[in-house]
Amino acid sequence: MNSIGGPPLFFLEFGDIMIYFSPYTVALFLLALVFTVLAIVSRPENQVEILFGTDAYYGKEIDVPEMRFRRFMSIACGLACMGAMVTGDLFDFTLFVSLVGICNVGIVAAVKTKHVQNAAFQYGIVALTATVPLFGGAAIAAATTGTLSMIALGSGLAGPAPFITRAALVLGVMGEGMAPFYAAKAEMFRAPGAPYVIMCSFSSLLIFLRVVEVVLTI
Amino acid sequence: MIIGRISRFLSDFDNLMPVFAGACALLFAIGILLLPLPYSESQLYPKRIDRTSSLDPYDRGGPPFTQANISMQYPENSPTAGYVTTYLTPFSWWLSTTTPHLGTTIVAHPGGILDEILYNTRGLDTVVEPTILFIAFAIGSYLFRKGI
Repeated sequence: MNSIGGPPLFFLEFGDIMIYFSPYTVALFLLALVFTVLAIVSRPENQVEILFGTDAYYGKEIDVPEMRFRRFMSIACGLACMGAMVTGDLFDFTLFVSLVGICNVGIVAAVKTKHVQNAAFQYGIVALTATVPLFGGAAIAAATTGTLSMIALGSGLAGPAPFITRAALVLGVMGEGMAPFYAAKAEMFRAPGAPYVIMCSFSSLLIFLRVVEVVLTI
Repeated sequence: MIIGRISRFLSDFDNLMPVFAGACALLFAIGILLLPLPYSESQLYPKRIDRTSSLDPYDRGGPPFTQANISMQYPENSPTAGYVTTYLTPFSWWLSTTTPHLGTTIVAHPGGILDEILYNTRGLDTVVEPTILFIAFAIGSYLFRKGI
């Protein structure tokens, strides 16, 4: 197998879906694991806003149901992220990436501020649209090479996937991760409850790092 | 100058959707220009449809309780693959022998046919797919109950 991320150390079999741990994916997996644990144990920070030009300030309280829901979403996001880091199947990877996208939408949509909800709505539509290039890319790879296993694709058994598959995967991950559209995420950072919002950005970063390996491997 | 203009355009999140849709359209236009893509004849999961079978769209071939021939990427990982009709409960088995269209009632009765390829060789996919649905329903119900 074309070892971009180092030789696979360990295989975990789920039927045709082979999960492989190479040094690169192990590192990403551990990062996702650590941040999921941090999301579990950390408490949301209370935001204090100062009114411009005056001495007045007011604090924003986060009620327990909202905190609980966002924590649940960030834990789910971390689990999806871990799956996307180590999976060795193209279709499974696209599924995990779309799960990361919808969890990010959930983290942001729980905030009760209007502009944050507007941003979450737009972001959700982009994440929805991004599934088209994601699954389309996986489908084109399956049709032209006959297999979905990254290990088979990387070892030259099935031949390299066509260019359009790689481009579609990268574009789909861009849509789900939204990392290039950082300006819109600035809206979300102003939302109260910091550690959970960090999970959005962190999972986007991780799926980007992973898709680089996937695109270079297949 | 131009970067400032671009970032000002992107900072309005209402513009993100058109930009992304334009990128998708551009990519697929390039994809159409790259046609034809060769079709691999040796597909991993070929589908042979037997219209005369009572299990019509789900029949993977082979007699019940005997292994059918299913192509897999890693056959050593799924030793029990191919026993598709063993998933039929006695009631479903009776239905399939008396009615011609059990395949159309796949979700309508317990112990119906499970798609062999989906549930035996690609089991993790079927776990992740309902998870996506579950998360989507969780978000939807939370927003609904919160009452914006």
